[in-house]
Amino acid sequence: MTAVSNALWRAFGALVVALMLTPLALVVLFSFTDNALTNFPIERFSTRWFRTLFERAEFWKAFGNSLTIAGSVAVISSVVGTLAALALARLGERLANAALVTLCFPVMLPALVIGIALLVFFNKTGVPFSLATVILGHLVITQPFVILIVYARMVGFDYAAVDSARDLGASPWVAFWTVTFPMVSTTVIGAALIAMAISLDDFIITFFTIGGGNTLPTYIWGKVRTYLDPSINAIGTILLALTIASTVLALRLSRYRG
Amino acid sequence: MRPRQAAMLAPAAAVFAVLFVAPFAFLFVVSFWRVKTFKLRPDFTFDNYADTFTKYLEPLVFTMAIGFAIATLTTALAFAFAYVIRFKAGRHGNALLVVTLVTLFGGYLVKIYAWKTILGTEGILNSALLALGLVREPLTIFIYNPGAVVVTLTHFLLPLAVLPIYGSLRGVRDITLEAARDLGARPARVFLDVVLPQCLPGVTAAFAFCFLIAAGDYVTPRYVGGPYTSMIGNFIEGQFSLKFDWPSGAAMAFTMLGACLACVAVSRALLGLARPR
Repeated sequence: MTAVSNALWRAFGALVVALMLTPLALVVLFSFTDNALTNFPIERFSTRWFRTLFERAEFWKAFGNSLTIAGSVAVISSVVGTLAALALARLGERLANAALVTLCFPVMLPALVIGIALLVFFNKTGVPFSLATVILGHLVITQPFVILIVYARMVGFDYAAVDSARDLGASPWVAFWTVTFPMVSTTVIGAALIAMAISLDDFIITFFTIGGGNTLPTYIWGKVRTYLDPSINAIGTILLALTIASTVLALRLSRYRG
Repeated sequence: MRPRQAAMLAPAAAVFAVLFVAPFAFLFVVSFWRVKTFKLRPDFTFDNYADTFTKYLEPLVFTMAIGFAIATLTTALAFAFAYVIRFKAGRHGNALLVVTLVTLFGGYLVKIYAWKTILGTEGILNSALLALGLVREPLTIFIYNPGAVVVTLTHFLLPLAVLPIYGSLRGVRDITLEAARDLGARPARVFLDVVLPQCLPGVTAAFAFCFLIAAGDYVTPRYVGGPYTSMIGNFIEGQFSLKFDWPSGAAMAFTMLGACLACVAVSRALLGLARPR
């Protein structure tokens, strides 16, 4: 009885994993075929669609923009978020939790609402739309994740070593760089990579704040709207490779599990 | 709070205040303005809200209905999956969790596009069915209907819903479960009286999360919903990218958020009533 029910539960788990991964796997699979349409039968495996893509200047432009934005977002939000998480960890638990819930509020809203709010705000305050406005917009949704991840690491952090350093005459600055930071650095890098993945993947906020030009997601959007060209599979594969690689690396480094 | 902590919190607080609270508050103000000859005019009118309810009531109701369906389906699937990770998968639990986290951050647009290529008339599913000889003509029932939107958004939201539920299931301690069993509770009793009450906050959070994000989406209905499955998000987006009627778009956005919160509150109250004591 229990053996049967356990087997059923496991089968269900396997089914959900298959459901989560299959659509992504199909995009990757078809990006490496020669097919002119994304469907069966697969005639031949080839890198034709990647080669087509790599010949297009607009792809490289979008790729460059994506990397510029995601790199800046990763650096800025990991510094800002880490500072906040370190400060919150020294507060009382109740106050820290209230602050965490407040700071995470933007993640709970549809990106559409954040996108249009930023569009109207930048427009009325006269900030010209550019990659910089996209970076600012992405900080809003990446900062909460950095704070959560670094804060989780700081819960149960042993301050004894930091206190000893201070007792032995180290300034707060020196104590931070020689004691605290080396202990949390892998988590901070992990959080930066998560911020990078979110930024690379964002379409909606980018769409409303970029003004002109493309990132990889807005490049996909434009292509899907005109006609379904299998090179979209190749862009999708590149985007997935970037976001999944940074997430996997982040999970290894930060040992963060939700 | 000491000055140094305040200084460390300041940049994050500034990002939050300047790039989130201020734009959000300003959007709310703009929802009471009006547009004259393509220019924003400060005003204090409820016309935009009245218009939302008269012109866009149908998509609004449809959005709430489909949002409710998606949030319910996703939360149920996510609960069962989180339950497997916590209690049934043993040492594979960690791997399942990693898969969940990896698909969480990878590919919003790619996932929607993937479903478009899977469900389309010349798509992967139809070509597979034809190749297997199960159908003679491509089926058109898979795409451009509300069902396709439900499938696509459920797939996208699933990892997002699994995490809060798993987080609360992790708080259920094995020793409590053993105590309940030792005192003679049957599995169903243990589940209803011990497991469920403890993970209700996670379940509610997951449901609210899915509801808001599903109801606010506009890309999925555009890609796989077809011309007759427009959600309120499509009309909001249209006010900003085509019609340049920002006040009415803003009013629609706040009406949508209000309707979502009301629906979540009602669902939560119903769940509270249905809960066995």
